[in-house]
Amino acid sequence: MSETILKIQDISLAYEECPVVTNLSLDVKRGELLCIVGESGSGKSTLLRAVCGDELVKVTAGSIIYEACDIVGMKEAERQKLKGTRIGYIQQNPYGAFNPLRTIEAQFRETLKSHGKTFRRTDLREIFGILELNNSDEILKSRPYELSGGMNQRIAIAASFILRPELLLCDEITSALDVTTAAAVMEELFKLKSENGTTIVLVTHNIGQASNIADRIAIMYQGKIVEFGESEKVLMHPEHEYTKKLLRDVPRL
Amino acid sequence: MKKRISRKKVIKIKLVIMVVLALSVVFLTLFAGVIAKNDPYQTCATSIRTAPCVDYPFGTDNLGRCIFARVLYGGRTTIAATFALVFISFAIGTVIGMVCGYFGGIIDRILMRLADITLGFPQMVVAIAVAGILGGGIKSAMIALGITMWVSFARLARSHTFSIRSAAFVQTARFAGKNDAYIIMVHVFPNLLAPVLTNALTQIGTTMIGLSGLSFLGLGVIPPAAEWGSMISEARAYIQIAPWAVIYPSVATIITIIIFNYLGDVIMDYREVR
Amino acid sequence: MIRNILKKIAEIVLILVILSFFVFLLLYIAPGDPAEKRLTSQGVAITKQVLDAERERLGLLKPFLVRYGEWLLSVIRGDFGISFKDDMPVAPKLYKGLLNTFFLAFTSLSVSLIVSFILGVSSALRKDSMLDHAVRIYSFIANSLPNFLISVLLMYFFCIKLNIFPVIASGNIQGLVMPVLCLSIPMTGRFIRQIRTEVLNQMNEDYVMGMKCRGVKKHYIALNIIRNSLGHIFTIVAIQIGTLMGGSVVIEAIFRWPGIGKLVMDSISARDYPVIMGFVLIMGTIYIVVNTLSDMLDKVLDPRIEKD
Repeated sequence: MSETILKIQDISLAYEECPVVTNLSLDVKRGELLCIVGESGSGKSTLLRAVCGDELVKVTAGSIIYEACDIVGMKEAERQKLKGTRIGYIQQNPYGAFNPLRTIEAQFRETLKSHGKTFRRTDLREIFGILELNNSDEILKSRPYELSGGMNQRIAIAASFILRPELLLCDEITSALDVTTAAAVMEELFKLKSENGTTIVLVTHNIGQASNIADRIAIMYQGKIVEFGESEKVLMHPEHEYTKKLLRDVPRL
Repeated sequence: MKKRISRKKVIKIKLVIMVVLALSVVFLTLFAGVIAKNDPYQTCATSIRTAPCVDYPFGTDNLGRCIFARVLYGGRTTIAATFALVFISFAIGTVIGMVCGYFGGIIDRILMRLADITLGFPQMVVAIAVAGILGGGIKSAMIALGITMWVSFARLARSHTFSIRSAAFVQTARFAGKNDAYIIMVHVFPNLLAPVLTNALTQIGTTMIGLSGLSFLGLGVIPPAAEWGSMISEARAYIQIAPWAVIYPSVATIITIIIFNYLGDVIMDYREVR
Repeated sequence: MIRNILKKIAEIVLILVILSFFVFLLLYIAPGDPAEKRLTSQGVAITKQVLDAERERLGLLKPFLVRYGEWLLSVIRGDFGISFKDDMPVAPKLYKGLLNTFFLAFTSLSVSLIVSFILGVSSALRKDSMLDHAVRIYSFIANSLPNFLISVLLMYFFCIKLNIFPVIASGNIQGLVMPVLCLSIPMTGRFIRQIRTEVLNQMNEDYVMGMKCRGVKKHYIALNIIRNSLGHIFTIVAIQIGTLMGGSVVIEAIFRWPGIGKLVMDSISARDYPVIMGFVLIMGTIYIVVNTLSDMLDKVLDPRIEKD
């Protein structure tokens, strides 16, 4: 649990020429589940998008080192090779992972073919099973717009895991789902992570959600990380005012 | 943020340039009498089909008339007719749209059905048929094009009226006991003016194409009146001998349409970034 | 389903009846007398007596509604009445013209669609590249060119300067090139612009981001974008059919292409009402049917529309 898989150093990011993140450093250890918590506009999604290689996010300073390799200056084609099989990404919009008008099966085939893999129903059934997607044949025949948000997000998770990435970036993946579904999806994600040993960076605005699953927590506020450490330490002994406020605002049951 | 501001600036500069260009075209034709020395209708038996020279910068046509003067005067006809037609369609369409959108009900249903039917028919086909049936003349050409033109204005005005009508300030005015005519004039009209006016600007190019097209077919202005479409049509017969008689009015038409079309585009961009 | 189709057909028929009624009314109140035109063209000296006899024979003296009713009956019979100009049945004339126009319009539409599709999609996929700028300038200028002007300029360059094509089209392939170019150039201007916008819209959809992040190959992403743009592209084409029809009337008149547009131009000057009415009805039907079909196709390509 000590080897660093991703190291972000003094990074500054801009979105549409508008600075969002300044001088931020962060490291992710292999196999851990790191939660980045912050309100909307704090720059946490921009940070994830920069790691995953979204062209709209401009890296104005600093470096992102993945497996001892700076991916900021990397050529487009090299970068492309990392996407999917090395670094996975799941976005907030549950309908955003797939073309809404084509069947799930066709899109799984395209995804696998792009990485030189073959589509096998048995591989898929296993992952679908963990994600509680039981009638996999029927799901493969449907199109995303016909399925619920929860189903779509589960299928998006399945599409990420079938490529067995080392690092999976999850951007508010449950915020568009209802509370019960969100909890179930998080639980399933955790199960998949433990089985595959995947490193996960999870971005959320919900510190309650983070407290349940995270190994470490980073609190982001106005483009900076204000608190970072083992989740127990952050939750029990918060130092920064903003963290304290976040914890106060968690509804107690 | 920096990029957005710079894009805004670029569009503003473009807008100024296009407005200046459009105005200069309008003024060139307005002051045709001052700029052109020759009378556009003066035929001259000794200078038939003269190539461009000092006296006749664009040459002369089959009847020895100065093409430079005719292009300027012809532009006046085309541009004036286009502006008048766009303005009339704008006025009629906006009034219809506001009435439909504000009052709704049976008037709205009938008029919008009529608009659907009108839209269900290609503009140029209607224009050619109607202009032909009414006989030549710029007025019948304008009527022929106007039959279908009001629709886009009416629809746009109607949809904007719909949303303005339910806005808080209109509700307040209504509770304050203002009557419908007052609300339409003071609250509805000023708020839909910008989008509908933008639509009017984008229609200028198309209308010009339509009007000069009708003239080209002999369904617009009646010769000898100068108009670009009819000049091109006339000179087409002797294009081998005097290509300038075709080229100059053609170039004038193309440049004018491009200027007004581009102006329309830039204004749409401008409204978007503002 | 069947009920919907029947309802749609009834709606189309109703629109066509109203439309034809207005055109009939317009012809009724418009200046110009078919009887007089006919006699003049035959070189008959016009006296009040001859004129009245001719009017009687053409059925122009009957009340307006009776005339409209008779015309409607002729449409139901399928012969569209008898031409005022030469006493020949109208239907075969329209049919022959329509075939020629179809040939011209279909060729132009296919050519411009293929060209616009390639240019529009590739300029959107390579946004802000040199190609994109060039294509945008071309489409802007092409859209600003009236087709009659293109005809004159092309005639000048190809027929007179280079002497490649005949000046007057005669229905063969060579004669087709110029009319097709005149109709296609402005149309490509509009198509390219709209296709480019639609593809750019699709590129901003979330699924493109999703696919990129899964490392899906570029050509698969492009195919997905194109597939999802198709519905809109069909709508764009359907809307342009109207402009195409107007354009073909102009182009046929210029190149003396023996289509329905030239037929109607001749008929307008001769005040040949049955032919004009037949033309209006056919053009209206085609336009409405094409638009209805495109709506239906849109629903097949994007089933989400049905759900809304």
